[in-house]
This record gives sequence, structure tokens and C-alpha cells, in this order.
Amino acid sequence: MKISCIIVEDIQIAADFLKKFCDKSGLIEVKGHFLNVADALEFLDKDQADLIFLDVEMPGASGFDLLDRLTYSPKIILTTSKTEYAFDAFQYHVNDYLKKPFTYKRFLEAVQKLGSEEQAPAEAGNDFLFIRSEDKLIKLVKDEIFYIESMRDYVKFVTAGKSYITYSTLKNLEEKLTGASFLKVHRSYIININKIDDIRGNTIYLQGNQVPVSKDHKEELVRRLNIL
Amino acid sequence: MKDSNQGRFLFNEHLDRAFLDELFEGDSVYAQIVFEDFLRDLPDYWKDVEMAHMNLDPKGLRTSVHKCKTLFGYVGFTDIQQLCQKLEDSCSADQAARERPDFHVLVERKEEAREIIENEYKRLKLFNAGC
Repeated sequence: MKISCIIVEDIQIAADFLKKFCDKSGLIEVKGHFLNVADALEFLDKDQADLIFLDVEMPGASGFDLLDRLTYSPKIILTTSKTEYAFDAFQYHVNDYLKKPFTYKRFLEAVQKLGSEEQAPAEAGNDFLFIRSEDKLIKLVKDEIFYIESMRDYVKFVTAGKSYITYSTLKNLEEKLTGASFLKVHRSYIININKIDDIRGNTIYLQGNQVPVSKDHKEELVRRLNIL
Repeated sequence: MKDSNQGRFLFNEHLDRAFLDELFEGDSVYAQIVFEDFLRDLPDYWKDVEMAHMNLDPKGLRTSVHKCKTLFGYVGFTDIQQLCQKLEDSCSADQAARERPDFHVLVERKEEAREIIENEYKRLKLFNAGC
């Protein structure tokens, strides 16, 4: 069965080459080409692809912004004309990194690598995550996060004495934090249950911070707490 | 214009021939399409470069030069790509527009490049028509 893919690329010649290479390989079916991140996300809201060929620098949002907002985990091959994104690519666990312009041989290597990676054992989950804030990648230990607040297209991570704002959504984070001690308690808040000091009415107190809990989420919160 | 050993199209010596041979793998028809696309897209991309330079907009200049850099790569102008990269770096460093001598060099090289590609496109058309 063919791997389905989308191409997110603002340079037509580069996208045409990719389409040609996909056709030639006989391994990949192109479901769509998008010139910017917003259009790609609109598609991904309704549909999915197994693989995304993703440019980094595009008008408006960057390829990394798309990765921050994905709600599932497709294979990712970054396509860029700069090598300086290699570190970021590593941090985002992308599957490969193709420097434009690239040849069919290099394209095929990247695609064939996807198949071999699928057979490898899954990586152990990390107890930390990296966020992009103020042009830096910042390591946050999950245990040290008090809560995360939604701010439209951004989220704020609050830790002891410091907060960080990054481009993402709570929906995306909910998936990334699955299995940890995190719980959504309000449409705008995810909290670290381990950091709760007390709960009074519809307010949660976490190490000097106050977070509201909504009626819809209170039942799940009570279920997760170790109440005697 | 034919490579006597392989019957392949021989690209202009100002282009990175080895890379173009690997990129197109002897598909001169596709090379013709790509060279035609380059000539179609460059004027639009370049308008953005000129606009950003005129408006002393380093961020806009960086983005627009970055697009041109990628485009030059697909027709084998490795040296112009390096020039674009230098200019992008100077924009990232927020260097003042008047302190960017590379810009004027790039303007000259871009014009030379366009002429070379126009000529290559004509040669490719003739080659593919069997002339």
C-alpha cells in the first residue's frame, strides 16, 4: 500500500520536483500541495496524511509552527535550503531532513528510511519537553510545570518563578502530555495534579497560583484525585 | 550541445553541471520545464526582494532572498546561492541596509544568471526538438 503524503512548500519548482519524485518512486501518493501552513492545517483538520514533506521558511507561519499544532503524529521529512535547522529538526524528532535542492537518490534514501524506522522498537517516553520561546528552544521538565494556560494561538507554561509563552494549542499539548500527571480542568487550562495545594469551590490553588475548574471538568478532576 | 559520450544535454559551464546531471538524470524535457519555470517565477520573487530593499525591511529582504536562493539552486547556480546566504545572514544580524554591499553584487549576478538561463532554455528547446 502506498504512503499518503502532503507537501507544504511555498516554492512551486520545489513542490513540482517532490511530486515528480513521489510519482517516480511508486511508493507515495500525494494528497495535496499547500503553499502555507494555514492551508495545510485546514486540510489536516479534516483529513490526515501518513507523511508530510515540510518546508521550514514560508510566508506567515513556519514549518515548526505546523509541527507545534499537529494533533497526531505523521512522519515528517523537513525540506529546507538551510542546514542551520538541523538542531531544531532533531528536537522535533523529524524523520529526515532534506536540503534543497536534493536529488532523487537522496529523496529515495529518506523515504526508504521511513520503512526501516517503523520496524524499530518505539522510543521510551521522555519526562521533559522542548518549547520554542523567544528564539530559543527551552527544556521544561514535566514535573516542574505548574499549569499551562491557553492564550488564543499561544500557550503559557507556568513553572516556579518563571513562565514561557510558545506558539501551540492546548489540544496539541493534551496529546503530548498523555500519561503524565496532567489534566485539563478548563477549556483554557491544563494543570499538573502533583502541584495542587488545595481546591476551594471552583478554584484550584497550585503553589501560589489560582486556576479555575469548570463544571464539565470537575468530575474528572475529583476522580483523578486521591481523596480519602 | 550534446555530450558526445552519453548523448546527454551539456549544461552551460557557469552552472554546476555535475549537480544538474544528477538532479535531472538525463531528463532534458524536465530540465526544460524547470528552466522555463525559473524564468516565470524569478521576476515575481525578485520584485519582493527589490521592495524589501527599498523599504529598508531586513526581515522582508531575508525572506525574499531566501526564496530566490532556493530557485537559483534548481538551475545550478551554486555560487549565487552562497551570495544569497551571505545576504540572508546580514539581514538576520539586522545590519543596516546601506551596509550590505552584497546586495549590489547579487543584483548584477541575478541579471547575468537570468540571461544564462534564458539561453539555456532556448538550447534545451532545440535539443529536445531534436535539432
